[in-house]
Amino acid sequence: MSRALASAVALAVALAVLPWILGNTFYVNLSSQILIYALFALSINLLSGYAGLTSLGQAAYFGGAAYACAWLVNRVGLDQTTAACAAVLFGTGLAALFGVLSLRASGLGFLMITLALGQIVWGVAYRWVELTGGDNGMRMGARPSPLGLDISRPMPFYYFTAIVFGIALYCLWRLARSPFGASLRGTRDQPRRMRMLGYHVWLVQWVAFVMSGFWAAVAGVLFVYYNQFVSPITLSLQQSAEVLLMSILGGAGTLAGPIVGAIVITLVKNVVSSYLDRWNTLLGVIFVVSVIFMPEGIVPGSLRLWRRFTGAGTAAPKPVAKTS
Amino acid sequence: MEPALHIQGLRKRFGGLPAIQDVSLQVMPGERRLIIGPNGAGKTTLFNLITGDLRPDAGSVRLFGEELLRLPTQQRIHKGLARTYQILTLFPRETLEHNVVLALLGLAPQRWNPWAALSGYSALHAAARAALADVGLGERAGRVVAETSYGERRRLELAMALAQKPKILLLDEPLAGLSQEERQSVQALLTKIPRDVTIVMIEHDMDVALAYAERITVLHYGQVIVEGTRAEVVADPRTKEVYLGD
Repeated sequence: MSRALASAVALAVALAVLPWILGNTFYVNLSSQILIYALFALSINLLSGYAGLTSLGQAAYFGGAAYACAWLVNRVGLDQTTAACAAVLFGTGLAALFGVLSLRASGLGFLMITLALGQIVWGVAYRWVELTGGDNGMRMGARPSPLGLDISRPMPFYYFTAIVFGIALYCLWRLARSPFGASLRGTRDQPRRMRMLGYHVWLVQWVAFVMSGFWAAVAGVLFVYYNQFVSPITLSLQQSAEVLLMSILGGAGTLAGPIVGAIVITLVKNVVSSYLDRWNTLLGVIFVVSVIFMPEGIVPGSLRLWRRFTGAGTAAPKPVAKTS
Repeated sequence: MEPALHIQGLRKRFGGLPAIQDVSLQVMPGERRLIIGPNGAGKTTLFNLITGDLRPDAGSVRLFGEELLRLPTQQRIHKGLARTYQILTLFPRETLEHNVVLALLGLAPQRWNPWAALSGYSALHAAARAALADVGLGERAGRVVAETSYGERRRLELAMALAQKPKILLLDEPLAGLSQEERQSVQALLTKIPRDVTIVMIEHDMDVALAYAERITVLHYGQVIVEGTRAEVVADPRTKEVYLGD
């Protein structure tokens, strides 16, 4: 318990001083972007990691909420708070509906249905030009000012993002060690037995699906605040695949894994790409190396290697599904 | 007296193959019922129909007068049904205690709580350790399932079912794969189960099973061919025919 508190304090301090260390606006913005993607990756990790349901349609709730927020502020003229709440509600509702449709199947079938549903949403954004602006996307206008605070500049926006991220991480940390979290992991490992123990497996998975959609939608609203612009790319299959890779690369079914995955991929995409033309190749190499040496992901894999090097790790590896 | 388990006219076909044909049986409260029959007789299929893993084509399964067939599996469990598996179905990366906690949580409304820490439910963990102690695994509670022996896992299966305090317990070959010594210790555990639990057991080990059960049902090609007390069934020529072949 005290260890968890210590890591929470350490993380909060690190997040607070980070922009002062970085200084440069580019890196402060990059940090905001990493936090948004980390939250997005944590949301899909709820499904692909804890529930064992690999989805390729997570961008639908992320981008859906981003579009909804921009549309409500820009076209409808709602105030920012109402628009943000409605946008998160829209993304979550979309997940509730898509959950009903895709949880009819499992495994590869589930993957294909989430992929198809995601593509439908992408298609709507791309083709329904009057509503969405089509390929040109939609402008957001301005960032909101929560509690009267101006977050239009990079530094305040970073802190705003960090606070939302911190709240989300805390909620997900509680979820991971809660009875519902245990139920969810149980349905991943032994769905048949869970049914036989009295669990409504479908409903457990659906609730997780909706929660996952909720956090993806929150990340989506942050994303549209960050860019002040949203286009069909936000809803694309590439976006869904990228966030899934973040969670798998870092370590599915852990809390730290998706965050590390988001850091690695966002850094390669934004920083390495300015030095290296073939940064996509580098990303590919990172994936291959990690799959070979740490198939369970960077975070659980590093812990395992660390234990081996320090000599404590001759015993069987600990389960990876715990929070780290 | 109302039967604990009342099955009437149960039928199930897999394509052209009739797996269960018009099976009817009554198990009274507190009874120890043994179901025997050669491989492919439909014993496990019968269990799967009772639990809801499979849907029957026709018939009725009632638990203390209440029809189960309309209910999904998890609701049948909440009515007091529990089952162990012939092929171990455990959570291998979790501790023994966590396995039993999951069993207890399955019947508790707290299983939906996404906020409180599971480790904070001390009563739940105490009950889980007590259930493990009852099957002689008290000292192993903190071990991960993957690090335990096969015999210990068999007993964990039993602990998970018993922890739920079922009214009726279906045991699918609880002695499968155990050594002679382990068989005796599991048998002793089975004998200890209180009489408010009705037990239906599938078992191939005749020495143990015959000594344990009061009434025996012989299944063959999905049909009940003999039913009666131990002595009646053993004496019946049809039993010999099924087991020794014709």
